[in-house]
Formats: sequence, structure tokens, C-alpha cells
Amino acid sequence: MTMRMVTMLLAGLLALPLAAEAQKPIKVGFPMILSGPGALFGAPALKGAEMYVEELNAKGGVLGRKIELVPRDTKGSADEAVRVSRELILKENVDFLVGTLTSAEGPAVSVVAKENKVVFIAPIPKTDQLTAKDKLHPYVFRTAANTTMEGRSAAEIVAKWPVTRIGTISPDYAYGQDVTRSFVEHLKKIKPSVQIVDQQWPKLGEADYTPFINAQMAKKPEAVFSSLWGGHFVTFVKQAKPLGYFDAIKYNMMAVAEAGSPESTKAMGADYPVGIWANTYDAFYWAETPAHRDYTARLAKFTKDEYPSSWAIQGYTGMQFLAEAIKKAGSTESDKVSRALLGLTIDTPAGKQTIREKDHQADRGQLYGKTVKDPKYPFPILKPVEYVDPTKFMD
Amino acid sequence: MPDPSFIFAQSLSGLTAAMYLFLIASGLSLIFGVLRVLNFAHGSFYMLGAYGAYQLVQWLGTGHGRFWWATLGAALGVAILGGLVERLLFRYLYGKEELYQLLFTYALVLILSDVAKIFWGTQQKSVSRPPGLTGSFSLFGTTVPYYNLFILLLSPAIALGFWFVLRRTRAGRFIRAAALDRETLGALGVNVDRLYLGVFMLGSFLGGLGGALVTPVKSIVPGMDTEMIVEAFIVVVIGGLGSFWGTFLGALIYGQVLSFGILFVPRFSIFSVFALMAAVLIIRPWGLLGKPLK
Amino acid sequence: MLRRVPWPLLVFAAALFVPALGSRFYTFVANDIVIWALFATSLNLLVGYTGLVSFGHAAYFGIGAYTTGILMKKAGLAFLLAFPAAGLVTATFALVFGFFCVRLTRIYFAMLTLAFAQIVWAICFKWNEVTGGEQGMPEIPYPDFDWVERVSGILPFLGGYRTSEYFYFVTVVLVAACFWILRRIVGSPFGRMLTTIRENPERAEFIGVNVRRYELAAFVLAGTFAGLAGGLFGIFNRGVFPDFAYWTKSAEVLIMTLLGGMGTFFGPGVGAVALILLNQQIVSYTEYWPLILGTILVVLLFAFPGGIAGTAQGFARWIGRRLGRA
Repeated sequence: MTMRMVTMLLAGLLALPLAAEAQKPIKVGFPMILSGPGALFGAPALKGAEMYVEELNAKGGVLGRKIELVPRDTKGSADEAVRVSRELILKENVDFLVGTLTSAEGPAVSVVAKENKVVFIAPIPKTDQLTAKDKLHPYVFRTAANTTMEGRSAAEIVAKWPVTRIGTISPDYAYGQDVTRSFVEHLKKIKPSVQIVDQQWPKLGEADYTPFINAQMAKKPEAVFSSLWGGHFVTFVKQAKPLGYFDAIKYNMMAVAEAGSPESTKAMGADYPVGIWANTYDAFYWAETPAHRDYTARLAKFTKDEYPSSWAIQGYTGMQFLAEAIKKAGSTESDKVSRALLGLTIDTPAGKQTIREKDHQADRGQLYGKTVKDPKYPFPILKPVEYVDPTKFMD
Repeated sequence: MPDPSFIFAQSLSGLTAAMYLFLIASGLSLIFGVLRVLNFAHGSFYMLGAYGAYQLVQWLGTGHGRFWWATLGAALGVAILGGLVERLLFRYLYGKEELYQLLFTYALVLILSDVAKIFWGTQQKSVSRPPGLTGSFSLFGTTVPYYNLFILLLSPAIALGFWFVLRRTRAGRFIRAAALDRETLGALGVNVDRLYLGVFMLGSFLGGLGGALVTPVKSIVPGMDTEMIVEAFIVVVIGGLGSFWGTFLGALIYGQVLSFGILFVPRFSIFSVFALMAAVLIIRPWGLLGKPLK
Repeated sequence: MLRRVPWPLLVFAAALFVPALGSRFYTFVANDIVIWALFATSLNLLVGYTGLVSFGHAAYFGIGAYTTGILMKKAGLAFLLAFPAAGLVTATFALVFGFFCVRLTRIYFAMLTLAFAQIVWAICFKWNEVTGGEQGMPEIPYPDFDWVERVSGILPFLGGYRTSEYFYFVTVVLVAACFWILRRIVGSPFGRMLTTIRENPERAEFIGVNVRRYELAAFVLAGTFAGLAGGLFGIFNRGVFPDFAYWTKSAEVLIMTLLGGMGTFFGPGVGAVALILLNQQIVSYTEYWPLILGTILVVLLFAFPGGIAGTAQGFARWIGRRLGRA
């Protein structure tokens, strides 16, 4: 009897609403960086996911059930990401996970997904290790580009430039190392005449880039590959520009890691090193298809932002893949949805995309272009902006 | 052997970084010297100075002289905030254990980081260099931006100004007296309450000023508060907690170690500054130029 | 009358009972709480009993986690060996760091513990080959529980649980053992001497006590138990990450200790229960957890500096006096 009382007491203490309705919503956990430096991508990605869910639910949801998004802040740390993901699975009883941002969070949450047999779609982490052969399991999928695709796309473009002395500057952690290695290897392969004359590795979150900038200029590269992201890229540019860095390399820079996103150019405004090449996941001015134009208009309305974020599309597409897979599977069971995702092709706002069967990786390319000033906007844009299809060099 | 102009460029960049750090850390050191409190929230004041400058530039525009008004306004705003915190809350903890004071300042860190997020969101912000200081000039084969030169001159000027105030004015004498022996201070007829308030506001002002002045060379992002506070701690510990010139020296050393450290041991440059901090504490806990606490 | 109840035993029994409730979430939360309770209690030995304010206690938590993690994942060592190894390795580090730290007082002590912790963090963050760098090491294996199935023929009540639940039982038993040892320590003449040192180090010195040696012993003990907590946490967390040793973790465990009540033996454990349950509830409603935690901390510092346990004790005493007078 005492046992029973203790049980009831404990259950009462931790009381949770155990609603058991027939048509309860499909719950999707969304662990994402919502505070700290990574939040500048995480927060808009969540917006994109929210917009998709709102639109889908307005149309009646999927399999007649609504989708409920349950976001959690991972604070940019892998152990927090693991904690909130398990909490989402065990407490909120989410059916799926979509989210994570950094190359530390992605693989860490992948382990949780595997152990709990919950489908996990990573819309932002790029590290190759997430879907590497020894780490791959039936429940992990990626709708972001990976470091191989990004590095090689950049190499394809730089190979056409009339330069041979190449330098690199990248943050010293998994993403920076992986993408730089992919770039260098692919470039050497398609253009053997290039020479890597300098490689700088500032630590992630470096505050003072001047020593690295000086060291790099001393080696006199003709072109530079950068994978500094977000605020780090902004800080780097603010310090490099007055030192004459961009004049020295004649603006021959390929800045990946979405340095060409409207958010980045908007934040820097007149300080942006106009003339460099950069990439982005999305651009509101990229009026490629009616579907994309329509998406942009909706997003602008949803976020009340005249120039809506380029990161929203990652949250949007991640959720879209999940919903379409549920529809295709006709079920919310992990194993069925996981199988439905293999080889699934959907129409995203950025065009058709497919999750490959062999490595659970979507053929998500990025937009590349040269940054120019445009009188229509108070900040630089990519022009002409080109979607680089990665399917040729994904392996 | 790297060529001399390169070495010059590296040491100059280390020097510039040091001058920023000095500006920020001197406020921390001043508060510690008088109030005997390590203020974790100093990094938050620095962050608010940066966001404040950004906001004022948005309102005032980027015309001539506007940046300077924005900087001054942001620093004053932070000083007022610091004053409010001291008057309304912090003063009640003076007699309490150090742990309570430390944790109170940490509570401020948590609160202010979310407050900044509520006001300014999570997108990175940026402020352009003020007109007139956008260019650069060449010195011994090295490009030196005018803005960096300005910082290189401003920081020592502020240091000298402080030194003058501390040495030559009545308030300065009280501050020094408080740093040495605060028990007798009240007996001397000093209004200790007002002194503490003034020092706290001045320290916050310096933190806010540092934050505002750093905006032309750094992006403003969430999380810049906790990044900075650790660096400022290292600087004041190396130089000596509460020692004014010690902070200056600490900043100089820190700047050079980082600037040259990345050339030789790039991967362990963050390790080396913490090791330096530990070494100073082990050999000379009161820092290079500080005096042992009584 | 209430004093006669063997509360620790009751809590221990109740803790063992959690998986039987049938909710994996309760077990998950309970596991989190139990490990953090040990971590906070180990810090209390230093802060509450000896009066040494460490701002780098996370270093030992991190070292323990990495030791167990590396030994189990990379060396394939059994938990039976990897767990005590966490204590051993951490004790060694605590001895070296503590040797320097206890020579300093007050704020300098706090600063040096912080510096050492940041060194540990920097090494974990950058030494990719051994620690996995900033990505940490996901997928630390659970201890081997196959033997349970084999013996469950004879002891049927053991069978039928998940691996994570077996690990929870192991955690509860090990943490209970640690608590028992810690309790013996603070109740011993050695423990009482620590309190004397906290109250009046000069006096202790005067009566011929080697204060530094006592403080160092407390430092090593606190570090060791933090390391054991870390060893368990790495497995529980399904991976070890450099953030385990970052200074904000040190602040977190200090807050927990303060919230529960410093200087009372079970206070920090209560703090772990309160803070973790609170966090679980609040993050479901808002992403502004830091703002709320900061506010709680301010209220605590000004209104309830004794924490939950301290306030409850004061309240009980007040009631007692009232009853006594009546």
C-alpha cells in the first residue's frame, strides 16, 4: 500500500497532462539555437518552419491531422541540444525531430535519434560526419548542403578565375576544416596549376582577425577562400577592409558559409566588400520561378520584413520534406516515414530536391554570385545570382 | 625570419587590441579596487554599450559627428543603468559574503542578455566607421587605419586623464584611500555611499564606452558579453586586480601574446592566455603591478 | 517525531522506484537530478563546509566525463573500471590544481580555480585527436547489462527494463554510496575541522592545524566526487562535450548549491531537484529561461540567502519556538 501511495505521490508531483484524443496533432520537436551568436540563423529558420506549419494546418494538415511545432533553445551547445532533444522525445512525446544548427549539435542529436528510433531531419548542419558511412543510421537525414558540396561548388567557380596563388581563411573547427579541405582538394583536381600559398585558421569566435589578415597579406595570395560565417565574417571584413586586404587580392574572394545572404549584406550595408563572390541559401530578389516569388511574398508577410530572411527556407524545406514523407508513408511511424524519405523528391520553393537513398543527403545546392551595388536596395546583392547544382560532384 | 614590416604589423595589431581591452578592463579594475567586487556583468555593460551605440546611430543617422554623440550617449546610458543597479540592489550586498556578490553580478549577466535579445533580436548588427576616420595610411610598409590610430591615441589619453584625476583631485584621493583601506574612509568624513555610486557609474561608463567604440571594428551579436568578460578578467588578473597601470600593462601583454601566439601555436592560443593567467596567480596572486590585499 | 523518520533511506527507496512508474521521462529527469545532486553536493563540501568559493568546479566534472568517455568509447574499457578511473584521474588533477589554489585566499582563489577550469576547457575544445575537439564525443556506450538478463532467471524482479533504466539504477546506487561517504566525511572530526576553518581560519592555525593541508584535502575530495558525477553524466548525456568544463557550468552548479542551501548537507540535492524541475516546466512556455533564472537568483540572494533548505530549517525552528512557547 505504501508503494502505491509513493507512486501516486510521485506521479502527482510530476503530473503531466496526458491528453489522449483521437485526432491529436503530429508533434515535431525543433531543437534550434535561439540565443547566443548562432541565433541569427536559428531564429529565422524557426520562422520558416512556423510558416510552413501554419500554411499546412490551414489546408487541413497531413493525414487529416495538424502539425504542432515544439521549439527548444539549444543555446549553441551540443550537450544542451542532446538534453532538449531527449526532453522533447520523452516529455513532449514528439514524433519527429527537425533542427540543430552547428556541426557539433547535429551528430550529437543524431545519436539520440538513433537510440530512440525517431526520424531526425537536419536542415542546417553541414559537417560531412553527420551522414558519413560509419555514422549513418535509418533515422538521420539532411536537407542542408554538406561541406563536400559547398567546398566543391566554390572550387568549380574559382577554377574559372585567372588566378593561381590561392589562400584560405576559415574558422578552426569541424565545419571550417571540412569545407576548406573539400574546396582545396577539388580545386587541385580540376585545376592542377593552382598553388595553395597560405592557410589561416582563426579560432571559432575570434575577436581580432588583424594578425591573421596581416599574416595572409604577407603571403600575397591572388584569391582567397573564406568560410567565416555570420557575425564572424562581419567582424573579419570590418577589420580587413581598412587594412587594404580586399584591394590587395583585387576582391578575388570566394566567401562561402552564406556570406552573401541578404542578412549579411544588410547588416554591413556600406561596409560590405562589394565585388567579392559569396553564397547564400536563398535571396528574396532571386525571382527564378513563380513558386519562389510566391514563397518570398508569403514570407515577407509572415515575418513582416520587406527583405525576408534567407535562412527561413531551411526551416521551411526541412518541415516540407517531413510532411511530404508522412503523406507518402500514410503513417507517422518512424520506420515507415524513414523509408518514405529515401529517394523522396519534392517541389521546394528553390526547385525540385531529392533526398538520396545511399547517404540520406538532399541535393541542396546554394546560390552563388558576385556582390554588386543595386540602386533598388539599400545593401549589396548577388548579381547575376546562379543556383549551383551539386548533383555532379556529390560523391 | 619574417620581414620587419610584418613583425611591426603584428605588434601594432596587438597594441590596438590591447587598447580596446584596456578601456573595458579599466572599468572592471576600478570597481574591484574600490568595491572589492568582481563584476561579471561588466561584459553585459560592454554589450549594452555596443547595442546602445547601434540604436543611437539608427536614430541619429550617420552624418558628421553623429557617431560620437551616439558613443557618448550609449556610454552615459550604461553609466545610468549601472548607477541604478548599484543604488537599488547592489549596495545591499556590500556586507555580505563574496559569493553572494559574485552570483548577483552573474544574475545580471543572465537577465541583461535576454533583455538585449528582447530589444534587438538575434540578428547581427553593425556600425560603420565614423566619417573622417574611414581611410588608412601607410607606416613602415604597414597599412594603419585611421580609426585604429584614433583608438591608439584615445586609450592612453583616457588612462592619463584618470591618472591625473586619481593623483590630483579630492575624489581621486578618496578612491585611492578606499582601495587601500575602506574601514577608515568613513571615519575621515567621506560620504562612502556617494563614492561607491560614483565609482560604479564610472566603471560602467568605461565598459559602455568600450562597447560603443568597438562597434566599427566588430559585429554586434548576442553572446558578445560572456566572450568579453573572460578576456577582461584575464587582463585585470595579469596586471593586478584594482591596479590602474597594472590593467594597462595586462592589456599590453595580452594583446602581444595573442598577436604573436597565433603565429607559433595557433591551435593553443586560447590555452596560452589562460595558462598565463594561472601562472601570474600562482607566482604573484596580486598581479604584476598590484598590491596584496589586506 | 519527524526527526525519527529515516529520510535518506526513504528518498533512496523512492528513487529506485521511479522506473516502475512506467514513464521514461520521469526516469530521464530523475537520472539528471541524481547526477547533478552529487555534483552540487561535492561543491558544497568546498563552498559550504570549508568556505572556499570555487568558480571552476566544472573542470572536475568535465575531466571525469572525458576520462570515463574516452576509456569506454576509445579503449573499450568496462564501466566497472572506467568509472573509478574518473575519480582517480580527477583526484590527480584536483591535487595538482588544488595545491596551487589553496595557497590563495578569497577572490584570488576563485580566480585561479576559474583559470584552471578554462585551461581544461581549452584543452577539451582544441585537442581534436583525443577529446574530439569542439564536437565532443557523441555516442558513449552504456555499461554492459547483458548479465542482468542471465541472472534474471534467478532474480526475476531484475529483468524487463530498458538499458537506460538499468543505467539509472546503477546511478542511484553509486550516487547513494557517494552520499553516504560524503556524509561520513562531513560528520567526522575531519569534517568538523573544515567547518572550524571556514568559521575562523586564524584560530584553526593558532591551535596548530595545518589549514592548507585540510583545505587541499577538501579540494581533492570535492574534485573527485565531481569527477564521479561527470563520469556518470557523460554516459547519461550520451556524449561528452567541452561545455561540461566551461565556466558557465561552474556558475550553474553554484546557483544550484545556493538555491538548495549551502552548508546544509542535503541542501544542494534539494537545489538540484528544484532547479531541474523548474527548468523542465519553464522551457515549455518560454525561451527566456536565462531571464527567469537570473530573476530567481536575485530574489534568492536578497530574500532567501539560506536557500530552500536553510529557509525551511529556519521556518521549522520558528514553528518549534512557537509551539514551545504555547
